[in-house]
This record gives sequence, structure tokens and C-alpha cells, in this order.
Amino acid sequence: MRRRFWLFLVAALAGCSEPQQEAGFAGLAGVSESDSGVAFLQPGPGDRLTFPEDFGPHPQHRIEWWYLTANLKTEEGEPLGLQWTQFRQAITPRLADAEPPEPGTWPLEAAWMAHAAVSFDSQHYFGERLARGDVGHAGARAEPLAVWLDDWQLEASGNDAWQLQVAADGWSYDLTLRINGKPVAHGDNGFSAKAADGKGSMYFSLVNLQIDGTVTLGDQALAVTGRGWFDREWSSQFLKAGQQGWDWFALHLESGDKLMAFQLREEEGDFRAGTWIPVHGEPMSLGADQLRMSPLTTSEGYPRRWQLAVPDVGLNLDVAAPPGDYRNTGLYPYWESPVSVSGSHGGVGYMELTGYGD
Amino acid sequence: MILPAALFSHYRRHPLQLLALAAMIVLATMLWTGVHHLTSQARVSLDQSESAVAERQQVKRTDGDRVSVADFVELRRRGLCVMPWMEVADPDAGRLVGVDPLAAGCFGDPGQDQEPWQRELDGRPFMDIAEAAELAGQHGSALSLLVSDAHSAADLPSGYQLAPFRVGPETGELGDSFLLNLDALGVLVLLITALLVRSVYLLGLAQRRDSFALLHRFGVSRGRINGLLVVEILLLGLVCIVPGIWLGRWLAIGLGSGFGRALEGLFDQPLYAGQGGGWLKPMVTMQAVVLVACLTDVLRPLGRRLSGGSRGFAGLLLLMLITGLAWSVWASALVWLFMAVAMVFVAAGALAPMLISRLADGQAGRDKDPLARWRHRELSVLARRLALPLVALQFALAMVLAVQALVTTFESTFDRWLAQRLAAGYYIEVPDAVDPGPVLDWLSEQQALASSGVWHQVVRGEATLMGTAGKQDTVVDVFALGPVGPLVTGWQLFESVAEPWQRLRQGQGLMVNEQLARRHGINPGATLPVQLGGGRLDLPVLAIYPDYGRPAGEILLDVAVLPPGFVPDFQSLSISPGTFSIEAIKGQLEQMWQVDEVVVRDNRAIEALASAIFDQTFLLTRAMTALTLILAAIALLMMGWVFFSTRAWYFGLLVVWGLSRRQASAQLTRLAVALTSMIAVLALPLGIWLTWVLVHRINPLAFGWSLPMAVYPPFWAELGVLSLLVGFSIALLMHRQLQVQASAPASASALAGGER
Amino acid sequence: MDSLLSARGLNKQFVSGGEPVSVLTDLSLELARGESLALTGRSGSGKSTLLNILCGLETPDAGRVEVLGESFDSQRPEAGGKTGTRWGNLRRQQIGVVFQEANLMPALSLLDNVRLRARLAGHEQRNCQDWLERLGIGELAARYPDQISGGQRQRAALAMVFAMKPALILADEPTGSLDRHTAGAVIGQLFELQARHGCGLILATHDPELAARCSQHLDLGHRPEV
Repeated sequence: MRRRFWLFLVAALAGCSEPQQEAGFAGLAGVSESDSGVAFLQPGPGDRLTFPEDFGPHPQHRIEWWYLTANLKTEEGEPLGLQWTQFRQAITPRLADAEPPEPGTWPLEAAWMAHAAVSFDSQHYFGERLARGDVGHAGARAEPLAVWLDDWQLEASGNDAWQLQVAADGWSYDLTLRINGKPVAHGDNGFSAKAADGKGSMYFSLVNLQIDGTVTLGDQALAVTGRGWFDREWSSQFLKAGQQGWDWFALHLESGDKLMAFQLREEEGDFRAGTWIPVHGEPMSLGADQLRMSPLTTSEGYPRRWQLAVPDVGLNLDVAAPPGDYRNTGLYPYWESPVSVSGSHGGVGYMELTGYGD
Repeated sequence: MILPAALFSHYRRHPLQLLALAAMIVLATMLWTGVHHLTSQARVSLDQSESAVAERQQVKRTDGDRVSVADFVELRRRGLCVMPWMEVADPDAGRLVGVDPLAAGCFGDPGQDQEPWQRELDGRPFMDIAEAAELAGQHGSALSLLVSDAHSAADLPSGYQLAPFRVGPETGELGDSFLLNLDALGVLVLLITALLVRSVYLLGLAQRRDSFALLHRFGVSRGRINGLLVVEILLLGLVCIVPGIWLGRWLAIGLGSGFGRALEGLFDQPLYAGQGGGWLKPMVTMQAVVLVACLTDVLRPLGRRLSGGSRGFAGLLLLMLITGLAWSVWASALVWLFMAVAMVFVAAGALAPMLISRLADGQAGRDKDPLARWRHRELSVLARRLALPLVALQFALAMVLAVQALVTTFESTFDRWLAQRLAAGYYIEVPDAVDPGPVLDWLSEQQALASSGVWHQVVRGEATLMGTAGKQDTVVDVFALGPVGPLVTGWQLFESVAEPWQRLRQGQGLMVNEQLARRHGINPGATLPVQLGGGRLDLPVLAIYPDYGRPAGEILLDVAVLPPGFVPDFQSLSISPGTFSIEAIKGQLEQMWQVDEVVVRDNRAIEALASAIFDQTFLLTRAMTALTLILAAIALLMMGWVFFSTRAWYFGLLVVWGLSRRQASAQLTRLAVALTSMIAVLALPLGIWLTWVLVHRINPLAFGWSLPMAVYPPFWAELGVLSLLVGFSIALLMHRQLQVQASAPASASALAGGER
Repeated sequence: MDSLLSARGLNKQFVSGGEPVSVLTDLSLELARGESLALTGRSGSGKSTLLNILCGLETPDAGRVEVLGESFDSQRPEAGGKTGTRWGNLRRQQIGVVFQEANLMPALSLLDNVRLRARLAGHEQRNCQDWLERLGIGELAARYPDQISGGQRQRAALAMVFAMKPALILADEPTGSLDRHTAGAVIGQLFELQARHGCGLILATHDPELAARCSQHLDLGHRPEV
């Protein structure tokens, strides 16, 4: 039983790591469908976002996450990168309006995993928490927003403000997030294709969060302030057979424009997409032909410096991680680092690289 | 180099003596290492299983309520590393533990390569707590919240407290007690080996005393000689102990696998393939034993001073014996009991040769015939001269006797237990949510089954024994079966009213198991008020049936007595199909229950496997004790032979004085056989007493239940014959000595065999 | 004269170092009641072997021994089956043997030793204390062999021999381990009792003075060189 469970956890993180055979997912789905008669929902073109419900969990989808990255500065002006993510992985799908199972039965319909990281002064601090769903110590709620796992939590605190608290081993942070602007829907009104065959996920972002608070590293409490990027994404299938991993960027340009870009690496040509979010005007979905992404420097297995170009909007960027090792060394290691942007525009941002060894 | 050469030249001339001493050390080491290896292997495995389940501390509520999932959530939300641990008592599968591997994630300790719950428990992996929770609905469970060692009491929110966490404390004690028993056996074996080594060493020493005296006359100090002897025995010990340990391990490992499996079967303790017992401990222990055994002469004057003369010494020993015996009756803890056993053994061992010697002297004083008087006086000398190997033989005989009784008792108990549990040929579990009714009807209709086979349905559940006269209500297991037939009517009942089975069949009463009867003082004929499925029944007790150590209280009923409201926990069928085909039954059940497969357990195969495993264990135990016995017998033979060779001249005098060699041999045979039979006779009470201690004292103290004490006079006779054989063998060796013309000793000193 | 013992043509060989060594070669002797014979010769000359042959504890390779009317012939094996029993009966009742040392059972008192010897010879045990008295060790009757001196032990050995009322005494250096004074006293008692009871005595000794006190003297000479 335990082994099966870990296997499934591996599958949960397949979205940021090794290719996973489709059959593996399908097999699991088959078991659960026969149990409950409920099938996993597969997002598709035409699916729409609804707020505030989509800030909450999607129990009929196999996987989803709440994902915050932040480029902050200390009072001394030193850059500090910060990440908080909470994943949900369903084993058994459940209708959104269905009663959750009794906590006393220790149900295992879903598992939760939270990651938190701080990157400061070439050091990378990482923490990981795991929990089963429906027992109570981990979960998510749309209104008022709450996403929690043990004592790590993101909670609404007043109008358009959230509070994020994380306490890991020897370090912690307590941040206030102020939401500016509406959610940005990626892809086709929120349906973000992830493969050429049209399968994908529902995906939206809050791209302009004003953050301030305290990051404590050991006995050093740092007052921080800066910008954050918050992603919501859910699906029932991510990497399909043949997909090796992905490279994802969220950039805050000095001009006030934002860029999200990702590629899923495949043997027969990568699948690439993004969203251009100008300060003024509507966000623009970027297709593979509008977006160029190429690694410039690779060291220790990870491409740490990239060239990103969107010729249509005159964007040609040199994106680089600062010196240091920014791997999140949890159950599934992946790269999560702040980046600095130079070239046609200056700026900061975050880069996530998965499926590169380990 | 000349001095050591001169000293050791004795062994060059008498290589057999050196060989005997070496062989004795090797064999003794092998014997003890074997026992010790098994003990430490069992201990390692117990420790492993203990550490696999013992995560140091748990959280409890201060208000005394049991912790629940809400408490788990509360503590996790406060950032405490807590994991749930749900233990389910499944009567068939044994102990099951459900854990939450996700919650366990925070227990990761970089110092440990594996967290305890990633290991197996009882040879099976932990199950997910959700599965356990599902089973818990049927069998009842206990939830604990384990908390990481990183937390202290100060981290806990109010309303909670830390408590040590141990899984199944009674299991730990059970294992400890079993190991204590093994340890006791090991100590006894160590004692015997020490006696044997010492006797052989003294023998060699006696034969070398002349050359020591010569060296002393040449100006070599006694201290120098003694120093060299210490070096000699150290070297000999080193050389002999290593192969002894190797052989002992070989013995233990070769035979130990079955032992391990049986241990697991007996005590629900998994035996890991532990590499228990390093080389150092047996090495040091045996070297110490050899040194103490060989060089104890240094301590002897001290002991003599303390004891204040032989008569006072005997009195002291007698007092020790009586104290030990009395203590063994009243000792309330195992440790004290073992102390008492040690006292009795030491006293009995010291007294036995003394007693034989005095009895023989007393008899000699009454003899009118000078020849009989001579024989009895010789017996007295013999008992004193051969005291050490004699006592070793006595201990070995006593041990063999006790272990035989214990093992035989265990065997028969086990056989009866198996017979009771596995009476029917096949066992079929009735799936949940299936009404067995139609199947029962179908089974009753099968003519072939009715004529040649037997079967019954078993329904298990719970009932409450209503408290009377201020006693509390007690929850007992319900064991309902029907039709009541030959599968159970053959049980040996402890006590019963007339025609108990017939009355049970007619629903006129119930039976209770041994433990329940004992605990509540229930006698056949009494009426028990029982709360069953919401209704109350007052049923007379028809009989008390044996439960072979099953600790839970249980009542046995005819299934027809169960009220409709009774909710069974578990149902099964036991079937001996006779000429009817079990395959046909299986097929029919699958069809009627609409399941893909009905699991049919072949009880005969299980019985055969269980019996085979136990047989090997018992064989091993017997082999160990038999080896001890053989070793003791060989030592006595060897010592007897050497002793007689020093005394051969005097036995030769009988021939000089006109007795034929045959007559002289007959005298010697009577002497030797008298000696060994007396020690066998003296071993008998010691052995019976040891049996009693094992069965009636150690077992209840360690296991909480007692085995029936049985004695096996035919086995005593076997041991008697064995001791006679040893006696005859000694006589045969002496006879050969008599054939050779002995040279007259130069003096009447004790060393030359001239002691009285 | 009444012949007590006669030996004719005794031969005895031992094997030593793979080579046969002749100890006795064609030896003959004759002893009458009341007579005493001294055997002399160096160590290994065959004194003990001869004594053993004369009381049946060893068998000669060749020759014939007649003692107290019993005849033992190494050439006539037909009597062999009973030979041991006949010799045994003779030693039990007629032939007393005294060794240099260790003539007593160590586990028995002096009196019990004498009684045992008398009982084996088929005599009353009442006179046993008398024999100890006559040898001057009556007060030591309850003592054990290891509690008395060597001289006293040899006296006790004589008491045992005389208690069986022997016809022939074979003594193998009975005073060899005693000091000269004690030896003289013990041997005096031996000769005195032998004379009084008229039994034959064969005494193996190194001492020429002792040999001179015997009525016959047989020197076995040197051990032949190999």
C-alpha cells in the first residue's frame, strides 16, 4: 500500500519532472472511477474560469496548485526570492459539490504537498510538507480564500489582501499580499494547452501582487518588500508520454509589462506558449511561433541563462539566475530561482526548470 | 625457553591429555556459543521489531479522553510533527498497524537511513491508515499520535501532554521473558561447561604435579610455575575457543532458522535474520570461564576460610538449598526466581557429591563384610574425587529432564491447540454483507456431506457478561457454532455437567473458556447473565474448555441461541467434506455468494507446516540439552578413567589377594554403576523441581498463564539407563586398566591415588 | 623334607625396544616349609618377575611351577582354563605377598585392611586386632594408611599377611623404602613370625645382610646386556 502511495506521489509531481507514461495515470483513474462512478474531468478549449470558485479546490481534477513567486528586496536593497506552492493530487475524483468523506476514516482521496523556498545571498532555503486531504490539516477554500497545510497557510485578510505564513526548519516568513489588478487568464480564456493534441490545463495568474512582510533566516529577521506573481492551475493530465519536463518563466519588466512563457520539452519538438501582459491593454496569448526560448548557459545540468524573445512586441531578453544552487531538494527535485532580466528590457522574475536529471 | 619447554614436555609425552583438555574447551565453547547465539539472535530480532514500532513518544490528552483525528488536525495545524498510529486487532491476521506515510514525512531524521515505519512490522509492511480505519470498524482499534523527538513538552498546546510510546507492552514483556528463559538456560550450560573444563584441567594438573615438584626442587619458584600455567591456559583457551565459537555458530545457524520461525509462531514475534552475537562476547566469556575454571584454586583457601570447615560448609549449603527452594515458591518477580534457581543449583551441586560420599561412608560403617565396606569406602572416595564431572552430569541430567518435560508439555499442548483450531479439513471465510443462510441450507441438504463429512458454521462477535454482586460488566468474545458436532465434541473439557455437548446443541447453556472461568471463578452449573445483541440471556455454564493460553474471555454457544439482533463481527465455515468434493462446495459458494473466488484454507496443510516448524524447534532444544548431557557423560568417563588409572594398583591388590580378575571387575562395576545411578537419582528431584519452576513459576510470571505440569517417568527410566551405561562404560575402562599390570605407587599420597 | 615350592626350567622374555630380552633363563629353585630363600640381583635382574611367576600373577614362557601340591606347567595348556582360579585360590589362602609399598587399601583403616585380607582367606576376623597387637601397632588399628609412617604401614602389611595364615610368603623388598633401623625391626618381625608359623619365605632384596639371614640364596645376577 505504501509503495503504491509513493508511486502516486511521484506521479503527482510528474508535471515538474520525468516523463510519465499516460497508462500510469489512466490505470489509477480506472480504479477510482469504478469505486465512485465519478470520472476525472479533463479541461478543454471552451472551458471557462469562474471566480471566486476557481480560487478554491477542484476535487474532480487530478492535480492542481496554488503557486506564489516573489521578487523582494530587503531594507538594504538586497534581492530576495521567495516561493510558496501548495499542490493537490487526487487519487479518487469527487464531484465539486459532493460531501467530503468523514475525517475519522482517514480518507485517501487526495494528497497535499506544500513547498516553500527562500533564495537570498546565493543561499537557497527549501521546505516541504505532505498531508492527506479531507482529514483537516490540509485543504483549500475559495471564499474567503484559505489554502493550508499544517501551520503553513495562505489566508484572505480583508479586501484584496492575503496573509501568507510559512515556518520551516530554521527559517520562516510572514507576508502580506495586496492584489492589484484582475486575474489574467492564460491561453484560450483560461484554457492553457500543454500539448499539440490540444490537452492542457486551466490556468490563471495574479501578476501584480504588492508584498511586504518579514523573512526570518535563523535569528536574522529581514523586513522585505517587493512584487509577487500568483498562479492557479489545475488539470487531470500534464506531461504526456514523451514529454521530458518543462521550463517556465514569469517576468516583471521594469516597463511594468509582464511576461509568462513556458515550454514542454518533447523529443519531436518542444511545445511552447506564453502570455504577454502589457501595462496597458489586454493580455495577449503567445503561440509557439511568436515565442523564442533558448538556453544560453548550462551548468551542473541546469540551463541557468536563457534568451527569451517575442519579436512581435520587440522583446529580446537575457534571463539569468544569480550564482548559487536553487534546486528544491524535496521528494522531486526541480529548479526554482529568481532571475534578473536584461537585454531589450530590464526586470526581475522567476524561473522554474523541471526534468533535468536528479 | 627451557623452563616452558620442561613444563610443557608433559603434553609432548601425553598428547591425549592435551587433546582431551582442548576438546573439552572446544566442545564447551561450542555448546555455550550455540545457546548464546540463538539467544542473541532472538534478542536482536526483538530489539529490531521493538525499534520498528517504538517511536519514543506520543501525545495524549490531559483530560484522559482518547486522541482522535480532531486532535491530530489540531496539533498539525500548530506545526507539530505528529503522525497517527492506528492499531487494529484482527483475530485472524493478528496485529495490524495503519500509519499515514504522508504525516510521517516530517519524522525524517538525517541520522537514520530509515524511519521506523518504512520498515516492516511483523514481517508485513505497515498498512495505510485508511485501510486500517476500514478494518477498525470490524475489529476495534486504538489510535495513538506519535510525536517527533524534536518536540518537547513545551511545544505542546495546553490540553496535551507527552507520554512514552510503546507498542504492545505485554508483547515486549513476553519477549523479554522468553529471552530470560533462554538466558537462564545459557547460564546453566555455562556452569556445566565450567565444571567440565575445570575437571579436565585438574586432571592434567594432578598428573603433572610430579614434574612441578621436580622443577620446584630445581629451584623454580611456585609463582613462576603458576605464572607459566596461566600463560599456558590462556594460550590454549585462545586456540580452542575460536573453533568452538565457529562450531557453535554453525550449530545455531544451521538449526536456528526453524527456531526463529517457531519463535515467531509461538510468540507473534518476528525473527529477523539477525547477525546477533559478535565474536567478542563469546570469546571473552569463554576465556573468562576457562580461566576461572582452571585457576580457581587461588580462591579456594578463601572460600574455605569463609565457610569455616566442612561440616559448617555443608550446613551452610543446606541452608542455601532450603532458602532457595522456599524462595522459588514465593518469588514474585522473574529475577528473584532465577536467583532462587541459581541458589538451589549451587547448593544442590555442592551437596550432591558430599551426600553420596556421606551415604557411602555411613553404609560402610554398618557393613559387616569387609569387602562391602571397602566398596562403600571406595564409592565415597570416588564421589569426592569426581565431584566436578559428577555435578556436571547431575545438572545436565536435571536440565534434560526439565527441558524434556517442558517440551513434551508444549508439544502436546500445541497439538491439542492445533487440533482444536484446525479440527475441520477446510476453513472458509464468509464475506461481509453476505447472508450465509442459503448456503447453510444447501450444506444441510447434501447427503454425501451428511453421511461422510462434518461441518459447522462459526459466528464470532461480542457479548457482555453482566456484572453481579458489584462486579463490573465484562466484554467477552462470542464463539457461536452450529450444528454442534464431532468437530468440537472431541474437545477435552476441564469440567462439565452431564452430557454437556448434547445440552449445548439443544441451546440449554453455554461453555466458557479456561481464562474466563479462572478470572471470574465460574464453575459448571452456575448461571451466567449475558447481554447478547441487545437482549439478555441467563444461561447455565455447561463446561469449561481449554484455551491453551488464549488470554481473552470467551463463551461458546450454539448458533441457534444467538438472538436476531446479534451483529456478528465475523463468520466462517469449517468443513471436513468426507467423500464430498471441496471443489464442488467452493463452486457452489461462489455461485450463491456471487463472488469471483471463495478463499478456502486447507487446514491440514497449515497444520503440517505448523507442526513441522515446531518439531524442528523442539528437536533443536532437545539436541542442545542432549549435547550437554553427552558432554557431561564424556567428561565423567574421561575423569573416571584417569582417576582409576591412578588407583589401578589398589584395585590390582584385590587380584593379588586372590580375587579373580572377573571378580575384581565385578566389584568395580558395582562401584561405578552405584556412583552414576546415585547421581541420576539425585538429579531426578532437581530435574522435577526445575520442571516445576519452568512450568508453574516462570511461565505464569513471564506469560501470565500456566501450562499443565506433567512428569514423564518413562523418560526418567531412559535417563536412568543412560547413567547406567555411563557407569558400565567406566567399569569397562577400569577393567582394561586391571588387565595391565600396574606399577606400585612410590608413596601413598593422594596424587598417586592413595587417598581415602 | 616337605617340599613347598619347586620351579623347574623357568624362562621369561620381555620385548624392549623391539628386541626380545631374556629376564629369566632356565631357572630352577626348590623351597621347603620353614625355609627361606633370598633373591638378590640388581634392578631389572628379574626378581619381581620371578616372584610374580611364583604366585601366578605372571606366566612363564616355559617351565613348571609346583606349589603346595598344585602344579602349573606352561607346556600343558589343558589345565589352562582353571589355572587362574587355582592360582587365585592359592593367593587367597596360602600365599601372602608383600610389596615394597602400598600393600594397604587406602580407604580402609588398618584393622579393616587386616579384616578384609582375613575374610578373603576365609578366616575368622576376630583375631585381626591381635595381629596388629603382635606387630606392635595395635593402638593404630583405627588409623588409615596415610596417617601412619612407612614402617607402620609395612608392619600392618605383615599383619595382613599373617592374618591369612599363609604357607608361603613372597616379599618383594618389603623394607626397601624404610630407614635402616626401622627396616631392621620390620624384617626381624617377619623372620620371627615366619619361623614361628613355619611357613616358607622368598625375599627379594638388595641387602646382602638380609640375604645372609635366609637359609637359601639365589643371585639372579646382572641383567643381560642387550
